[in-house]
Amino acid sequence: MKAAPVALTNVSKRFSTHVALDDVSLAVTAGRAVVILGPSGCGKTTLLRIIAGLEVPETGQVTLDGRTVSAAGRALVPPHERRVGFVFQDLALWPHLTVLQSLDFVLGSTETAPGERGRRAQEALALVRIEQFSGRYPHELSGGEQQRAALARAIVGEPRVLLLDEPFSSLDEELRADLRSELARLQRTLDLTTVYVTHDRDDAAALADSVVEMRAGRIVAIHHDRSRTQDRA
Amino acid sequence: MWRSQRSRTIVIGVAFAAFVVCCVLPIAYLVATTLGAAGGPSAAILLDSRQRGLLSNTALLGVGAAVVATAIGAPLGVALARVPLRRKALLRLIAAAPVLLPPYVVALAWIYLGVSEWTYSIPAAVLILGLLLYPISMLATEAAMRRVEGRLEEAALIVAPPRRVLRRITLPLVAPSIVAAALIIFVLAISEFGVPGLLRVRVYTTEVFTAFAALYDFSRAVVLAVPLLVVCAVVAVVAAVLLGERLVVTRRSSSGSPVVFGGWRRPAEVAMVGVIATAVVLPVLVLGREALAGRSLPAAVAGSAAAIVNSLSLAAMGATLVVALALWLGLAQARARRAYRRAAQVVLVLLFAVPSTIVGIGLIGVWNRPGFFGALYGTDAMFLLAYLARFVPVAALILAATAQTVSVSQEEAAAAGGAGWLRTIGGIVLPQMHVGIAAAWVVAFVLAFGELGVSILVAPPGEATLPIRVYTMIANAPSSQVAALALFQSLVIFTPLAAFAAAASLRKVP
Repeated sequence: MKAAPVALTNVSKRFSTHVALDDVSLAVTAGRAVVILGPSGCGKTTLLRIIAGLEVPETGQVTLDGRTVSAAGRALVPPHERRVGFVFQDLALWPHLTVLQSLDFVLGSTETAPGERGRRAQEALALVRIEQFSGRYPHELSGGEQQRAALARAIVGEPRVLLLDEPFSSLDEELRADLRSELARLQRTLDLTTVYVTHDRDDAAALADSVVEMRAGRIVAIHHDRSRTQDRA
Repeated sequence: MWRSQRSRTIVIGVAFAAFVVCCVLPIAYLVATTLGAAGGPSAAILLDSRQRGLLSNTALLGVGAAVVATAIGAPLGVALARVPLRRKALLRLIAAAPVLLPPYVVALAWIYLGVSEWTYSIPAAVLILGLLLYPISMLATEAAMRRVEGRLEEAALIVAPPRRVLRRITLPLVAPSIVAAALIIFVLAISEFGVPGLLRVRVYTTEVFTAFAALYDFSRAVVLAVPLLVVCAVVAVVAAVLLGERLVVTRRSSSGSPVVFGGWRRPAEVAMVGVIATAVVLPVLVLGREALAGRSLPAAVAGSAAAIVNSLSLAAMGATLVVALALWLGLAQARARRAYRRAAQVVLVLLFAVPSTIVGIGLIGVWNRPGFFGALYGTDAMFLLAYLARFVPVAALILAATAQTVSVSQEEAAAAGGAGWLRTIGGIVLPQMHVGIAAAWVVAFVLAFGELGVSILVAPPGEATLPIRVYTMIANAPSSQVAALALFQSLVIFTPLAAFAAAASLRKVP
């Protein structure tokens, strides 16, 4: 049986006296979109950061494609070797690099041949429909274009899993709806395993194959969205 | 509210007027005099073929010192920001100390250490100024690194190893601060008088001093000051613009975890200690060895008691006046609209960058005349005017940075509660600025205590501060006596620094 792209087993994490994650176990199936839903401070962002390797769990283990990347309070594999894509809540676009340069930085960190980088970057930009803005700096892009640039940066390295931390939270409702459907299309096109963190139920309804509800650092319920699952079939 | 606005207008207005008289007028006088004498003899002096040598020496000194100081300071700044060093606060404080030492004292130590004619050369002057000025690059780099949003580095760490993140993401983001610091170092190096004077390197500052003090040719000194003033002005403005709000805003990045290089701890600590040993410990040890060779420390100190007491009291009075004036300028700058704030910052950096010999000549031009202005000339008040002219700009920058950390809404809350502006400043703002005010006073005291370039020009007959006495004794007194006084001067400078560090650490200032 093929290992899950992402699996957490009995993961706990504390910040000082605050318990961010309390004995969390979760497995994400390949090609599925899992939405982590919960109020602020429930530990959903910490969960994402632990998968990416930006935080180390105190107990439990994390495996990616069956390989243990964190265990017993230690990071065994650094973030850049985990092959994950990450879209941050504030996007964290590098202000001194154009969109194309940002993508080139990502590809330059992989084993992509220099000649291939341009083609791969253009493909990623085409997927998120911002080819015409490749030469622009972040401050020269609109809010929606910045979101697309962040998405392009996250997928250009062909990650095994795409992690998104409330990327649309600062957008107005109309743009948010557009980008939701765009992300759903992208996820289906690339058959991406996706973990999406939000406190918005509309996001969850539009994007999720499965919804994981969290409260106070614990998973309290897991729902499977049959309609989206059937759509995918 | 009207009363509140009126008291604010009066206080800031008086402070601004005092600032114009003390800091701007001497420079404005010099510029006006030069423009008035344009053409004729002025042009002849500037077009003299010997000027080319002066220009190239000055440029070499400035560029060399900026390169050496940046090469030492920037990596140390990166280490302070990103390497988990042990006793980091202490290391930072000691490593920053050279910038507060009087340059001629350090030059003296290197002369005593030197064994060849190489000591009296431009490369030696470059090395000494680099070792004196690297803390500017170090502190600017560290501050800039701390301001980089951690999220930007995290986004890069997802795809690249830490070294590549440092090289491609972090360093390009802090590059403007490093370049601006290098430009400020360049300006301070070409403005420096004591080091090239002692090492017999001909640059504009020494020529200006010679024209005025040895040849008694005031107009030649004024004309020679022009190229220096123009270069300093242009470079200082570029540096201030490059730094932008970074010079005043001291907030730290709060989002995400920055890249940390735990594996670099040992080499970084070795490098830090090596630089401290070379730039701080070695000069002090050399001066100590020289002073003890003549067993003359107590005798030298006793023989210069008047100059020492004079220096201590003048520096203390000067620092107090500097802070008393700079406080209101800093507050006004911190609360001004963005465009005015930026403009004020450019002006302050520009004034701080004006070479001391130029300030000295400007002060003489303004105050050496009959009437009200002339009443002060020839008195100890000229020393205080010199300290105000030189150090109000830097104190105002420090205090503006401190005032920025106090939120405007706190003042608004006090005003809404019925407190007038002065009461709000005295009861709400100043108590929160006390560490910054103390820091500004210590910096002003230390700089005033070591001030030589202006003091030596404006000193009344028969009056001397310790730096003037040391500088004039170099030529005609035993080296052990000179070293003893220079060592004493260094110890006096280290004492308030150590006291401030101890007080700050007790209060757990970050």
